[in-house]
Amino acid sequence: MSNTLQGNGWREEMICSAKAEALASGQVSRMVIAHRNTDAAGQLSDIRDLIAAGVDAIIVNPVSPDAVTPALAEAVEAGITVVAVDMGVNEPNAYLMSNDQEEYGYLGAKWLFEQMGGQGNVVYQRGIAGAQADTDRHAGFQRALAENPGIEVVAEQATNWDPATAVQQINEFLASGQQVDGVWTSGVDSPIVSAFKTAGREYVPIVGADNSEFVNQLVNEEGLVGAAVTNPAAVGGAGVQLALRVLNGEPPSEKQVLLTPEVWDNQTPEGRQKLEAAVDPSIDPLWPLNITIPDWTTYTKEQLLACKGPGE
Amino acid sequence: MTAAAGTVQGSAPGRTGGTVARVVRRNAWTFGLAALLLVLFLVTRAIKPTYGAAELRSLAIGALPIAFAAVGQAIVVISGGIDLSIGSLLALTNVTAAALMAGGSEESAVPVVLFVLFLGLFLGAVNGLLVVASRVPDIIVTLALSFVWAGAALLVLKSPGGGTAQWLKGLIDGTIGSEWIPEALVLLVVSVALVWLPLRRSRLGLSMYAVGSDRLAAFRSGVAVAPTKVAAYAVTGLFAAMGGLSLSMSTGIGTPVPGPYTLLSVAAIVLGGVSLVGGRGGLLGPILAVFVLALIRADLTFLNVDPNFTTVVQGVIMVVVVMVGAFATLRRRTA
Repeated sequence: MSNTLQGNGWREEMICSAKAEALASGQVSRMVIAHRNTDAAGQLSDIRDLIAAGVDAIIVNPVSPDAVTPALAEAVEAGITVVAVDMGVNEPNAYLMSNDQEEYGYLGAKWLFEQMGGQGNVVYQRGIAGAQADTDRHAGFQRALAENPGIEVVAEQATNWDPATAVQQINEFLASGQQVDGVWTSGVDSPIVSAFKTAGREYVPIVGADNSEFVNQLVNEEGLVGAAVTNPAAVGGAGVQLALRVLNGEPPSEKQVLLTPEVWDNQTPEGRQKLEAAVDPSIDPLWPLNITIPDWTTYTKEQLLACKGPGE
Repeated sequence: MTAAAGTVQGSAPGRTGGTVARVVRRNAWTFGLAALLLVLFLVTRAIKPTYGAAELRSLAIGALPIAFAAVGQAIVVISGGIDLSIGSLLALTNVTAAALMAGGSEESAVPVVLFVLFLGLFLGAVNGLLVVASRVPDIIVTLALSFVWAGAALLVLKSPGGGTAQWLKGLIDGTIGSEWIPEALVLLVVSVALVWLPLRRSRLGLSMYAVGSDRLAAFRSGVAVAPTKVAAYAVTGLFAAMGGLSLSMSTGIGTPVPGPYTLLSVAAIVLGGVSLVGGRGGLLGPILAVFVLALIRADLTFLNVDPNFTTVVQGVIMVVVVMVGAFATLRRRTA
C-alpha cells in the first residue's frame, strides 16, 4: 500500500482498514506499507519500492492522477494488480475503489446553500490542490454553486487536509472581520467547529464528513447546524478486497467501484437518527464512523481498532 | 556534532598529488560513505535477493531531485552560507518548466530547459545579493525568500499541472550501456561534473572554500567576498533548477507546493561530510549520502517496519553515522 499523507485521521483509518481486511480475508501473507508525507516524486519511488518488494497487488491513494502513472504502468507491466482508493489515477489498467467524490462535493454544498437560504458568504475549505478527489469535489461544489447564484465564496483555502492548517486559515479568516454565513469543509470539520467556539463566534451552518468528533458535535453541540456527508475510509479495506477478487479471477464488472455518499444532517428527524446511531466514542475523533462497507469489507470493529495486518 | 563533522578532512581543492594513501586519508569520510553504501546494497540483496538492476534504476530516479538539491546546498554551505529556500526554488523552477512546456512541441522544450536553468541561476543570485546587501544572516534571508519563491510557484500554477516534453522524461527512465547504469545516475554525474569540475579548480571555486573557511582571512588575502557569495548562491540556484527539471522528468507535471527537499538536502550534506560552518567538504559525499538515505528507506519498507516509525529510524541512523564518523576521524587526528 502506498499513501502520502501522515497525521490525517481519515488516512490512518484507511491504512488500518486495509490491514484489518488483509488479516480478516486470510488470503494475504504479508502487507508492505509505504506511508509518509511526501510529494509525487516521493510516491513514484515508493511505488517502485513496492514493485521491488515483489508484491502481487498495490493499493494506492494517489497524490496526483497523472504524476504517479509512470510507476503504476511499470507495476501493471510487472503483472501487479493496481487498485487506486479514495481517488482516481489515469492508468487505464488500474481499478478504482472510491467514494463518488463529485457527489460528495455536490450533496454537501447543496444542503449547505439550502440552509443558508440561497444567500450569503461561504468559506470554502478545500483539500490538496491537484489531488483527484479535490478536483472532483470542486466540480460538485461548483455545480451546486451554479444552482445558487445568491451564494458568494468569500474565501477559498487549500487546507491540504491538515487540521492545523485548516484551523489557522479559519482563524485568520475570522480575525479578518468578514461576514460568514456558512462553511464547507473537505473533511477537516470538528476542528473548525472548535475554532468557532474558541473564537466566541456564533455557529454558522457547516458541512463536514462522518468523522467521529464532528458527528458527536452535530448531536450534542447546542446551536450547531450542520451535516455530515459520508466518506468511508474503509475504502482502504475494500480496495484490498477488490484486489483479492481480481487476483482470484473474479474481477468486478466495472473497473471503477463508486460509493454513493449519504447526507446526515441534524435538522431533519431522519438525519438526526442516523447521526445519533453513528456516534461512537470508541472511534478516534478524526476517524470516519462508517468503518465498514457492505459487500466489500469482512473485518470486525475490533480488528480495525487493533490495526494489525497479517503476521503483525 | 556538526563542529566535529567539520574536522573531517574533506576534499579540499588545490592540494593535488600525493600517494593513494593520502588521497584515501583526505577523503576518508567519502570513502566511508561509499563503503556504507556498498554494505547497504549487500544488506538489501540479503533482505531482497531479487534487488537488482531494475531497482537500482528506480533508486536513481527517486534520488535525482534530492541529489541535485543536496549538491546545490553543499556548494552554498561550503562557501559559508546556507540556502533554506532550495525546496521552494525546486518547486518554482519545476512549475515554470511545466507551465511553459504544456501543450508545446518537443523542440520548443529546448529553450524552455535553458530558460529554466537560467532562471535558477538568476533566482539564486537574487538570494545571494540579498544576503550580501542586507547583512542579515543567510539563514534568515533564505528562510524569508523560501516563502517568496513558494508563493511565486503558486502564482505560476495554482494546482499541479502543466506538461513535460517526452524526450525530457526519456532522459532518466532507462539505462545506458549496461543495465546496471541508470540514465538518471548518468544525468546526475554529467550535470554535476560539467558545472563543478571546472568551477572547483578555478579562482572562484578556491574563493568559495576560502570565504567559507574564514571570511576575514579570505578578505585580507584579497578575495572578493561579496561576489564570491553571490556566485555560490547562483550556482546553488542552478542546481535547484536542475532539481526542478528532474521533478518534471519523473512526474511529467509541475507541483507548486514544495516537497521535502530543503531538509533532505541539509540532512544529506551533514551525512555527506560537508561542514555546516563552511569551508570543508565536497560534492561526492552528499550524493552518496542521498543514496544511503534512500536505500535505508527502501530497506525499512522491505522489512515491514511500522511506517510511522520509519522516519524515526532514519533520523537515528543518521545521527549514529555522523557521530561514529566524527569520533573515528577525531581519534585518528589525536593518535
